[in-house]
Amino acid sequence: MNQAEQVIRQKFQQYYLDPKRQLDPPLNPSEREYGFLLFSGKFMVRHRSFKDPLSLLTAVRDLVPSHVYFSTAYYREPTAPMEEKGWTGADLVFDIDADHLNTPCKPDHDSWKCKACGTTGNGGAPKLCPKCKNDRLEEQTWLCDRCLQEAKEETAKLLEMLYTDLGIDNEATRLFFSGHRGYHVHVYSKQTSQLGEEERREIADYLLAQGLDPQLHELEETSVGGTKLAEGPLIGQPGWRGRIVAGIYDILGSEMDQIGLTSTQVHALKSWDREDLLRKPFWNSAKGVGISTWKTLVTKAVEKKSAKIDTVVTTDIHRLIRMSGTLNGHTGLLAMKVPEERLDEFDPFTEPLAFQGQMKVKVKESPGFRLGEERFGPYHDETVQLPSTAAMLLLCKHRAEPIA
Amino acid sequence: MLTRADLAKYPFLNEASDYIKELGISIDDIASPDFSPVLERAEKRLEEALSKGRVSNEFGNENAEILSFPVSNLILSLTGEERAQRRFALAEAKRAYELLRQESPEKLDYIARTTFGWKLNKIDAQPGKRFYDFGISLADYLRNSVHLKDPKWKLPNRILDHGLVYATREELARLLEEEVRTKIVDRSSRLSGEIPKPLLPKVERTRGLITKWLGVPSHYELPKVPSPEAMPPCVRHLIDNLAEGKNVQHMGRFTLASFLVNIGAGEEDIVKAFKPASDFSERMTRYQVEHIAGKRGGRTKYTCPMCTTLKTHGVCYKPDDICSTIRNPLSYYKSKARILTGKGPKREPS
Repeated sequence: MNQAEQVIRQKFQQYYLDPKRQLDPPLNPSEREYGFLLFSGKFMVRHRSFKDPLSLLTAVRDLVPSHVYFSTAYYREPTAPMEEKGWTGADLVFDIDADHLNTPCKPDHDSWKCKACGTTGNGGAPKLCPKCKNDRLEEQTWLCDRCLQEAKEETAKLLEMLYTDLGIDNEATRLFFSGHRGYHVHVYSKQTSQLGEEERREIADYLLAQGLDPQLHELEETSVGGTKLAEGPLIGQPGWRGRIVAGIYDILGSEMDQIGLTSTQVHALKSWDREDLLRKPFWNSAKGVGISTWKTLVTKAVEKKSAKIDTVVTTDIHRLIRMSGTLNGHTGLLAMKVPEERLDEFDPFTEPLAFQGQMKVKVKESPGFRLGEERFGPYHDETVQLPSTAAMLLLCKHRAEPIA
Repeated sequence: MLTRADLAKYPFLNEASDYIKELGISIDDIASPDFSPVLERAEKRLEEALSKGRVSNEFGNENAEILSFPVSNLILSLTGEERAQRRFALAEAKRAYELLRQESPEKLDYIARTTFGWKLNKIDAQPGKRFYDFGISLADYLRNSVHLKDPKWKLPNRILDHGLVYATREELARLLEEEVRTKIVDRSSRLSGEIPKPLLPKVERTRGLITKWLGVPSHYELPKVPSPEAMPPCVRHLIDNLAEGKNVQHMGRFTLASFLVNIGAGEEDIVKAFKPASDFSERMTRYQVEHIAGKRGGRTKYTCPMCTTLKTHGVCYKPDDICSTIRNPLSYYKSKARILTGKGPKREPS
């Protein structure tokens, strides 16, 4: 454990030892497996189970983990080795994380470094190092208002689809802030708990509109008296059909540059009355705007309306996922439940703050950021006295060192 | 709701089992001369299923039709031949589909609910050009549609409205076919034990039919010597990428390793395939290959991921004609090896 980790662990310990402290354990707590990532040597303690919230809290106080997880799966014997646990079902879970979003602010606050050749760059890490084609890239990310705002918007789209398309009862869902760069949605229902990996993949594909074929949603070209006419779905139709039309309507009302259309096509589309889309399933027959242009627009519409979930999380039926009411070791912020009706007003930079008091740290490099009402930084090689939450964020993100 | 004629059409229904129970027939009755039409029909069902992958309809003798189905199933179970059981289940399910697709929405709805426990609504909706009779609950839809390859079954290509997937009568019948197939396979795998005397000759005869039509089981096994020519495009692509020192992501590596383990490649050969990787570590690679082969950790031998998974993770590469007939790279390998060597029985008609 290095010095920073020791300081972080100490603060975490203080937090968990507070006599008023309560965790927010999942439903059916005794049927789950728990996992704790420890500060010492990044070691994962797994296959634990707890009969009640108190024994769980005792373990957390005892181990002081940097991250606390539980299984989305239910087991007959949660402590048995993986293949003997006896899987009986799993919550349907969704993870939306700024890591998977293409926010324009990333070059301002994220950077990466290739572990093999030392090449560095700004923004989200590419899949491969552009120089040596290696995939061992180290990323330094930051959490900013903009990224979290986008994550929130993706989450809102996700919830909307879960309710209106998948018919999931909002009593059966819970929404959490992850304590870092995103949100988690858990669905607890008998219907969905039995779904296997392949079925969950279909659901993930649905939310991302992966493999959506416009033709199967009745986008086609017909010929009426020698005139070609594009026909498509109609607004108000259920599922992706209405959503495709709404997406195209939005696109037609905004800038259409940079979506791969020619200026003639853009011009033709702009001169067309997009309100037509809301009236009839016959899309326009403007010059130069044929079926292939509409297909391009559908692709864009679908990109706009899909919810950018992490497919790996949703399809894994043995996943460990962060527990609400615990500290996120990447930030020192609390992972916490967010009532769905409050998603819009939820401020991830105010509500999950966990520490009191002040701390002195030596900051190497940090973008500017906000916590609560206060703005901090940017910092560059300086020693500063900060509120503990801000100092902990910098320590956890490896942007600062503690001062003894 | 259902008549005896319906039970003759759909002898896998719960009502058909109840009907047989009420008749109070025991295994010894099978030997009686009254029973010979049933036995004859049972054998015909098997012969047709094994030879053509189809079972024809014979509604002249309804009782024989109803009773022969469980008898066929029993005989087949007693042979212990799983591939024959799967083939029979598929043939019977196809027969059911051809009949189901002609049924009224009410009858389809009834069968789906009572025998298969589906939740579904009659919706009569026409959001566009097609008319949909049913809204099927998402879980019931997915359980069956994941087996179907046509893109029209993919969830993003369906109308999904408040937890109901819209389906036409024809589509509902097709999904029920999957349900019927699963039910027959499950049912036959539960039967086993000693062969009752009256059935002994039938079981022997059926074993002969299986060998005649499906060949000796070992012909279906993977070629003993790994044959690089038979590998699917995705696997070849992975090997090429590694050989050129290009990076291959985790999913690709897992696919390659599990594929090679399953076609019986030696550990040394597998490790060798990973050697050109820029971040190659012999110790790690060996450990992981042993893990996948089930020699370490959970002791589970991993199978190769399905094509759908590979598509989701971008590992699928330039699928060819054979790819459109299979769902797992290992099946590709089997098919192609069979074509290349010209050995073994022909592909099962599907």
